[in-house]
Amino acid sequence: MEIVVKGFTKHFGDTAVIENMNLTVKDGEMLALLGPSGCGKSTTLFAICGIHKMDAGQVLFGDRDVTHVPAQQRNVGMVFQSYALYPHMTVFQNIAFPLTVRRESKVDIKRKVMEIADLVYIGELLERRPAQLSGGQQQRVSLARALIRRPGVLMLDEPLANLDARLRLEMRSELRRIQQETGIAAILVTHDQVEAMSICDRIAIMDQGKILQIATPAEMYQRPVNSFVAGFLGDPPISFLDGVVRQGILVLQGDADDTIPLPEHISGQPDGKVLRLGVRPEHYQPHFPTKVKGAVVFVEMQGREILFDVKLSNGDLLRSVQAASSQFKLGDTVEWGVDPAQILVFDDHGTRL
Amino acid sequence: MVGHSRNWPVIAGLGLISIPLLVMYIYLFVDTVTDSPAGSVLPNRFTLEHWRFLTEGIEGKGNIWKVTLNTAIFASVTTTVVLLVSSMAGYALSRLNVPMRRYFLAGVLMLHAFPSVTLIIAIFLILQMVGLYNTLIGVILVKSTLELPLGIWIMKGFYDTVPWEIEMAGIVDGASRFRVWRSLVLPQVQPGIVALGVFSFLAGWSEYVLPQVLAPSSNVQVLSVYLASLIADDQHFDFNLFKSVGMFYIIPVIILYIFFQNKLMNIYGGGIKG
Amino acid sequence: MSVSARLGILFLAPALIFVTLFFFAPVVLTGVFSFTNMSTATGITGGAYQVTSNVLRQLADEGFEKSTLDRLGAKSYVVSAQALVVATTEGVVDKAVLVELESKHLGKTYQSRRDFERFLKKLKNRPRSTRDLKKISPYFRASLMGQRFESEEVLFAMLASLDLGLPDPQMRHVARASYTGWVWGTGNFKRMFSLGDNLRVLRNTGIYVVATLLLFNTGFALVLAIATFYLPGRHSAFFRGLWLLPRITPPVLYVLLWKWLAWDTGFINTILANFDIQSRNWMLDTGANAWLFVVLINGFVGASMGMIIFASAIKAIPQTMLHASEVDGANRWQQIRHIILPQIKWPIMFITVYQTLSLLTSFEYIWLSTDGGPGTSTEVWALAAFHAALDNYWGNLQYGYGAALALVLVVIGVVMSLIYLRLFNFDALITRPRIEQ
Repeated sequence: MEIVVKGFTKHFGDTAVIENMNLTVKDGEMLALLGPSGCGKSTTLFAICGIHKMDAGQVLFGDRDVTHVPAQQRNVGMVFQSYALYPHMTVFQNIAFPLTVRRESKVDIKRKVMEIADLVYIGELLERRPAQLSGGQQQRVSLARALIRRPGVLMLDEPLANLDARLRLEMRSELRRIQQETGIAAILVTHDQVEAMSICDRIAIMDQGKILQIATPAEMYQRPVNSFVAGFLGDPPISFLDGVVRQGILVLQGDADDTIPLPEHISGQPDGKVLRLGVRPEHYQPHFPTKVKGAVVFVEMQGREILFDVKLSNGDLLRSVQAASSQFKLGDTVEWGVDPAQILVFDDHGTRL
Repeated sequence: MVGHSRNWPVIAGLGLISIPLLVMYIYLFVDTVTDSPAGSVLPNRFTLEHWRFLTEGIEGKGNIWKVTLNTAIFASVTTTVVLLVSSMAGYALSRLNVPMRRYFLAGVLMLHAFPSVTLIIAIFLILQMVGLYNTLIGVILVKSTLELPLGIWIMKGFYDTVPWEIEMAGIVDGASRFRVWRSLVLPQVQPGIVALGVFSFLAGWSEYVLPQVLAPSSNVQVLSVYLASLIADDQHFDFNLFKSVGMFYIIPVIILYIFFQNKLMNIYGGGIKG
Repeated sequence: MSVSARLGILFLAPALIFVTLFFFAPVVLTGVFSFTNMSTATGITGGAYQVTSNVLRQLADEGFEKSTLDRLGAKSYVVSAQALVVATTEGVVDKAVLVELESKHLGKTYQSRRDFERFLKKLKNRPRSTRDLKKISPYFRASLMGQRFESEEVLFAMLASLDLGLPDPQMRHVARASYTGWVWGTGNFKRMFSLGDNLRVLRNTGIYVVATLLLFNTGFALVLAIATFYLPGRHSAFFRGLWLLPRITPPVLYVLLWKWLAWDTGFINTILANFDIQSRNWMLDTGANAWLFVVLINGFVGASMGMIIFASAIKAIPQTMLHASEVDGANRWQQIRHIILPQIKWPIMFITVYQTLSLLTSFEYIWLSTDGGPGTSTEVWALAAFHAALDNYWGNLQYGYGAALALVLVVIGVVMSLIYLRLFNFDALITRPRIEQ
């Protein structure tokens, strides 16, 4: 089922949290709503499932306009960050609750619970109470409860945020597996770009109540619409260099000595124009041609790779990720190169050129 | 954190001030099962004769078991009403989009501090006018009402601690708001219900002013009024008897107190946290 | 209206009904009653009109002429239509006499039975025997004294039939004076302000509230909370448990225990007998002793609430703060003064307001122990109101006056609970509901 949000607007008191938002989740896809906290992504989620009202706009589930349908009748499944399991019920009762509310027969309920428990691998936990489960197990129960009615859409509100690092990786792929096996459209709300990029078909990135870009992870990483998106995606993050155009060359701010030639696809910028360059760590390497000089001020060994921070003479930083075999040390003066084809250029409003 | 040796002056000081309490409560028990010769503090023999009132009654007084039953009915019906009404109103104030919710909340808080005894004259006249004077039901209604502001306040506090996500999950799972309250939220505030229940029961069990003023007649007498009338009556001036009746009266209180001390501490603090 | 608003109103409805009936209505009615002279004598429903010797005395004081009053008070005999009807239906008196009376003598009035019967003897159809004649008189007896008139109109009709020639204002005056039900007026307040006793009661109330509050409800409560904070767990649990006992003990029993301590044959006297000190009732022998017990009895109960609240506030002080002060070399006393007390400033304020209010209006323990005595030395305002309206020795319960006394407390209660409301960080309590349906 396709989910369409049209012209969604939401105010809390006098402040507009969301202004005229449009969003489409295609049938069977997993879409991430990615953004910093307070950007309105959870509000959007709550509006789609009906917990929040919309001040203006429409929500369509397939052909059905559910804008004024109460949450109880929208048939959405939801997984919360805190899992929101019912503490006084057993795992079985938790999973069965959506069916109990609809007064389905005991036999049906039992069969369906068994089915879904097998899908999320919690068949042996059914008689326990939530307090007796680990975080990962609670997450699976919560997922089972969300899926048991075969919802039209699955809502995942920061589902992995409360798990420790190892479990998070495991559940991440589990989420994807289960979503793909059931073929239910899913919306994943997260502030973790790695999570969004690794398991979602598309990402909608939000900031201050607006969707900045909707695209596949690869496209968004390579062609971000603006510096915010570029900065949000990537770990370690992208580095920015600010400067002014002078005769087709960018002169970095603060120190006229450091210059970087503009990449070919950005040629023809007028003199005096303020630009911002974005260089990802993997594109600042010893062997690239456009050399930029600086001193290594920070070294972080990450096992397979090493992360360097290089301070330029004007004080700006460039990051570089290199293989662990790299021999540079803290305090070395280096002159590494930038890959001109991969430089991202933004104007003074942050829009990518 | 602090050296042990420096505690004894504190303990001694507190102990000294606590002497009246210790003496009163120790002798409350001792005097019911012993006799003390005149002019002596130490009891001399064990006896159960002060407890004869349980089987023989006291001359000129009502049946103690009938009075006890009245007290139990008064306390438990009051408790039921308070629990029912506060658990509903507390939820509405904590979670539902009631119009003018702000003012209701302020009202509850104000009534919480409002000295209800000042109203007893008007309540007395109201009960006379509506014909509920001298009935158990009248005192129950009044007592329940006077307990409500605290009850609602406490229940609201407990509801506030229930995670919103549980209710959201319930709604998304297809349950109505009422069903969410009954099946999902109420079980979470069970500790609050128990605490408030015990508190209301004790309050009803101990209440003296209301039954004495609003229902003084002997067929709706409760234990507090019974004991007071016993003390006021010159015919049976016998402290050992008073204390035995008092001990009988306080036994349920002590039992509840032992089991629920921590919960009660919380409520006797006014249910106000910070 | 949204689903939850409807459910919310439904959920609030029972509470609203209860609170309206037994909280708001009494508040309003306390105000209303205080402007009436309701008492046991007037009753609380309506009344009737009844001229009694008291009423006549009152009217005399208010300047009515003696001759008018004599006639009001006299027994007179009137040939009235009403009396004729009654006599006719009962059929004891010969019909012919009645017909004659009705046709020729309607309205005639006689001041005494003798005059009336002398007149009867002259009638054409007069009865043969004196015995029959004497049976006629009672029907025409028309005295105001002792008769109940259910409404003003009936009273006026009666007055008119007496032919007193009273002008309208004076008739109304008589009606007002002879009304037995309650009436509106500000008499209660005049009385409240003029009565010298009330000044004493006011002073008592001040002593009671301030002494109990300072010594126990905040003072000793603080000592208990701080002391038990420093004591090891078992000891502090013991003292807290012990001091909560008075709060959970039913008041009647609790006061009984104090009486056992203080009465003639009580514990104190038994101890003091060893030192040859005369036994007496320590609770009631002198005003000073009575005050001591009133403050102790209330204070031992009142200390627990402050203790609980202060203890939890002290527990909430970050441990690091206390550790830091210890590292800085502060001793316990300095720690209490410079860290604990400033940190629990608000709870102290809070308890002070709350307890002032509840002490100001509580009378239960005083009622049970000294009942205001000896004399009126421990009579406080709330107890005075209660005594006036619901419990006094001379039997005439003055509901209206009691309500006026109580109204003072109600007003104080409203004002102070508003202050109490201000002390709450109220806006923090009202977060908006996160489910919008």
